[in-house]
Amino acid sequence: MASMEGEMLKGHLDMIVLAALSAGPAHGYAVIEEIKRRSGQAFDLPEGTIYPALHRLEQARLLTSRWVTAESGRQRRVYALTRRGESALAEQRAVWRQFSDAIGGLLAGVRPSRRPA
Amino acid sequence: MISAYLEALASALSFDRSLSQCVRREVEDHLREAVAADPEGDGPEAERRAVAKFGDPRLIAAQFAAVSLARQTRNVGAAVILVIAGVFVAMKARLAWYAVAQCVLRDEMRAVSELVVSVDRYAFWLSIAVGITCWAYISSRRTPATFHSSYRRELHRFFLLCVIATGALITSVASDGVLTALRLFEAESPFDFLIPIFSMAIEVAGAAVLVAHIRTVTRRTASTAALLGTRAGLPL
Repeated sequence: MASMEGEMLKGHLDMIVLAALSAGPAHGYAVIEEIKRRSGQAFDLPEGTIYPALHRLEQARLLTSRWVTAESGRQRRVYALTRRGESALAEQRAVWRQFSDAIGGLLAGVRPSRRPA
Repeated sequence: MISAYLEALASALSFDRSLSQCVRREVEDHLREAVAADPEGDGPEAERRAVAKFGDPRLIAAQFAAVSLARQTRNVGAAVILVIAGVFVAMKARLAWYAVAQCVLRDEMRAVSELVVSVDRYAFWLSIAVGITCWAYISSRRTPATFHSSYRRELHRFFLLCVIATGALITSVASDGVLTALRLFEAESPFDFLIPIFSMAIEVAGAAVLVAHIRTVTRRTASTAALLGTRAGLPL
């Protein structure tokens, strides 16, 4: 799968970061590695763009962070999802599935299945 | 290579010193880990690759500028509330002092005083109402990923509310100054001056701090807009 363009990811970066952290607390580098792994290397972002997103999500109280000392002795900032972050991720996931079904149906030339009311 | 990159990033983030130090530590850990994980070794080439993958420091700083600005505008919203509360406490302390010191106005001053008290009261209530709206408005905004035009409009509305709240507060503080001056004409000993003047100093200082704070953040907004405008062509 070709590496996706930055512009395509721009609008979904928050959701991507939240999803990467849904596996558990992680520092910035581990978040990027998790994104690459779970996307099958498709999301090859400039790594530095993750950090403003992490700070922004923390400001929105979707994440929390703490400094820990790594095995290497370096100071490391570890981020974790808050309850609010989990809810936001669940909400974004539902919206994405609906959108994805609709686009999938459109591209395949069939009607997307309607959800029961 | 990593040290030079960190210097460049810290320099680009110099608009917010605490953020700059924090990001520098965080990025250093990232880059050292990337070098250690590089399958082709950990020499200068690995450092060069880690830095290249991380991205342009000016672009990253521009994205942080939006985050930093959002935090500062929230601080201004909180400052509006705190200063109004501080002015209220100072005002009440002065009135309590007048009661204790049995400081009363001369009859010929009463008409002027009543007019100024009305202005003071309405201005202060206006500052409270708009100040709370201002704080609630900015607290309910989510920090956007980019400094787009709708966010700029939101900031514009926020600063307008701040200016109205601060203007009303300044009117209230000026009215308090007039009322204090009227009372001090009656003061018999220098001791009677102390509490009123001290409480007025608190009110004036609070209003001045608020004006300075709003001015700083409006300037920062303009510089952030300019910074992000010059980076608009860069990816993400």
